[in-house]
Amino acid sequence: MTRRWAAYTLLLALAAALLALSGDAYLLRIATLVGIYAIAAIGFQLVFGRLGLLALSQGAFFAIGAYVLGLTTTVWGWPPLLALAAAVIVPAVAGALVALPAARLETHYVALATLGLSQLVLLAVTNLDVTGGANGLYGVPVLTVLDGEIADGWPMLLTVWTGVALALGVFALTVRGVRAARFSTLRDAPHAARALGLDPIRARLTLFAVAAALGGLAGGFQALGLGVVSPAVARFDVMISLLAIAVVGGRGSAWGAIAGAVVLIPLPELFRGLEQAYLLGYGIVLLAVIVAWPHGIDGLVRRWLPDTGPARPAPRPPSRPAPAALRVEAVTKRFGGVQALDRVDLVARPGEVTGLIGANGSGKTTLMNIVSGLERPDSGILRLGAVPLLGRRAPARARLGLARGFQHPELPSDVTVLDAASVAGDRAAGLWALDRVGLEALADRPVASLGPADSRLFDIARALAAGPSVLLLDEPAAGLTAPQRARLSRLLRSLADDGMAVVVVEHGMDFLLPLADTLVCLDAGRVIAAGPVDAVRRDPAVIAAYLGQEAAA
Amino acid sequence: MIETALIETAAQLVVTALALGSTYALVALGFVLIINAVGAVNFAHGDLVMAAGFVTVALVTLLPAETALPGLVLLPGVMAVMALVALVLAALAYLPLRKGPPTSVFISTIAVGLILQHGIQLTAGPQPRVGPPLVGGGWVEGGGLLVSHQQIATVAVAALLVAAVHGLLHRTRFGRRLRAAAQDPELARALGINLAVTIAATFAIAGALAGGAGLLLSHQYFVTPTDGAGLMLKAYIATVIGGWGRVWGAALAALAIALFEVLVAAAVSYLVAEALLYIGVLAVLMARPRGLFGEAEGRRA
Repeated sequence: MTRRWAAYTLLLALAAALLALSGDAYLLRIATLVGIYAIAAIGFQLVFGRLGLLALSQGAFFAIGAYVLGLTTTVWGWPPLLALAAAVIVPAVAGALVALPAARLETHYVALATLGLSQLVLLAVTNLDVTGGANGLYGVPVLTVLDGEIADGWPMLLTVWTGVALALGVFALTVRGVRAARFSTLRDAPHAARALGLDPIRARLTLFAVAAALGGLAGGFQALGLGVVSPAVARFDVMISLLAIAVVGGRGSAWGAIAGAVVLIPLPELFRGLEQAYLLGYGIVLLAVIVAWPHGIDGLVRRWLPDTGPARPAPRPPSRPAPAALRVEAVTKRFGGVQALDRVDLVARPGEVTGLIGANGSGKTTLMNIVSGLERPDSGILRLGAVPLLGRRAPARARLGLARGFQHPELPSDVTVLDAASVAGDRAAGLWALDRVGLEALADRPVASLGPADSRLFDIARALAAGPSVLLLDEPAAGLTAPQRARLSRLLRSLADDGMAVVVVEHGMDFLLPLADTLVCLDAGRVIAAGPVDAVRRDPAVIAAYLGQEAAA
Repeated sequence: MIETALIETAAQLVVTALALGSTYALVALGFVLIINAVGAVNFAHGDLVMAAGFVTVALVTLLPAETALPGLVLLPGVMAVMALVALVLAALAYLPLRKGPPTSVFISTIAVGLILQHGIQLTAGPQPRVGPPLVGGGWVEGGGLLVSHQQIATVAVAALLVAAVHGLLHRTRFGRRLRAAAQDPELARALGINLAVTIAATFAIAGALAGGAGLLLSHQYFVTPTDGAGLMLKAYIATVIGGWGRVWGAALAALAIALFEVLVAAAVSYLVAEALLYIGVLAVLMARPRGLFGEAEGRRA
């Protein structure tokens, strides 16, 4: 338990003690409501904070939970505890169903799709007979556990806050260890994430389902606490409250969700009599916080009580993969009228460094994208060892042993260099990889603070931590200092000597020629020469098309 | 006989839909201009339209009672006020967040929408208000159709505003700068275009369009503080149907949405029309994750 957790727990215990001293039944009801909103907001933080998606459907899952509980108890006569389980499971399934199509959408479409869904839920519950129309459902029974009734007041309050503790636990489990860095990488570095074997669809599916389950649990508690379910639970105001709680508390933080609920939920009570005026207050607070204080309450707390990461593991290389050759056969790709690649063949053998050269626009990066699965060829064959790659998505290829570095690496915004380097493996492998590229001294720094040269070395480390059999690098030496280039050259040589197949796209011949075993030269999408370095560099076609300047120099 | 009656009713509905759709087109136009200029969804755009309705209702009390064309007289004033409001919105909710994650602007404009909606509800009350007519009452009859002067004037004013925006964007130097800055901010900056100015101008134009739409809607459809969300959603849906970032696609789609809404509401009910609209947009997004007609070149916010 970190000092931050301890501080929050202490504050909550203090609040509970004050509540006990006052003995005010009305305050107890507000504290129960705070807990209910905290549960739903903790779920929302997963999708909104961790995936970075403005999914405005958490209010709808809250409503679904409330109505499932109301319907199963009042219409079908289910015992409340069973109904509460249904109020968690039904929204979770709905959440996964929403995530499937939403997984392919960009943020501005996610917001609209989830908004449309919320409107449909509101229309449905307000107008269907089965949900009691505008009147809602009455006579929701009191929660009973083991024949004991959970009465209003302290019993209900403690039950709901047990739910909050449960939600905290589920949240911590969902983002435990290096997973947090994986979600950040998926959010901020989507291309790199896929090339590292991280599956965006699986992540969205998981987090949407967990978030919806927590939203449903909160809705179920709301129905049990009030004894009625009215269409008010489906109004957009609920979603607005959850959004305000998440932002004010601190994006992506579970404790922030609790802190935000504690601050914002009692606000309407201060404005009682001025109907809906609290939403004006929410608007002002929301705008002020997002502009002036974007990390919210928890951001401030973190500044005072920073989380210290787990102890550093001993560096350990990822398990060495079986050596495998990458074979590219007759790969063709057109963009509109441009023939980007024309029946390109390439073999990268284990133990060799294969250099891929050619002028700008000759198709080198397109070939890299096709091999790693970010683009699809029009025709051709790709194989890793004996395994065909076409038809497999980028994350699946990465998990087969294909890794790549990018010309312009994308970096996650809020994780350390070590955690960010560990996303494709574990922290021991991440530390080993950082050590290999010479960045181990920066392991605890925020990865977003790295300069351009270090970012590139980091990108290579992050790929190495996956334990690849084939490593593709796109201009890795550009922008590096002479000592860094020498070090990188030694690293790539030793990786090849260990049995890795290394493919390097590079313009710097002084870097590539001493390093590479074989060269492949592309010109206008066609291979004009391939073979041992000395043969290719003397090839008249290569000199004419590409090496001309260097040969003349 | 029944068939002629049916056709006449349908034609009458199409006239109603045209009047409504031309105002929706103004709403969608302002919405998509901001998307193009800053790559962000302005969640408060519907609330700007709603606020314009209340500004109209407030300003009309200042006119002498016998003013002949109250709506037309007020139009420039309302548009100017809303342009100013939109500039304040840009200064408070967009400019400070330009460098932040994309969701920040969504949230800040949601906040501004809340402030507009509930601020107006607190000061003016929740009940519907009615704005002044554009022109005096009266009807034109022909071919079995009954078209009110108000409907004709609405379509005419909306068409005029759309044409004015088109002219500004495509026929003036300033408009070319606006479009260049929206298409490629980096290049525009390199060419010496001041992005802060083009962004502010775009917000002002969007605000003025919201002002026009709010005034046009306030007479026929009244105005209540809660109108904003529905209007924003329709503009949002029009943008997805018309192609993300395609200005005229969004305006046409807004017309189509009004037609759909009016016809389905007449044939079944408004509720069904609304539900089908949302189901429709969900289906579109599922089948075509980049919108019905894809995205405009180079716009991927």
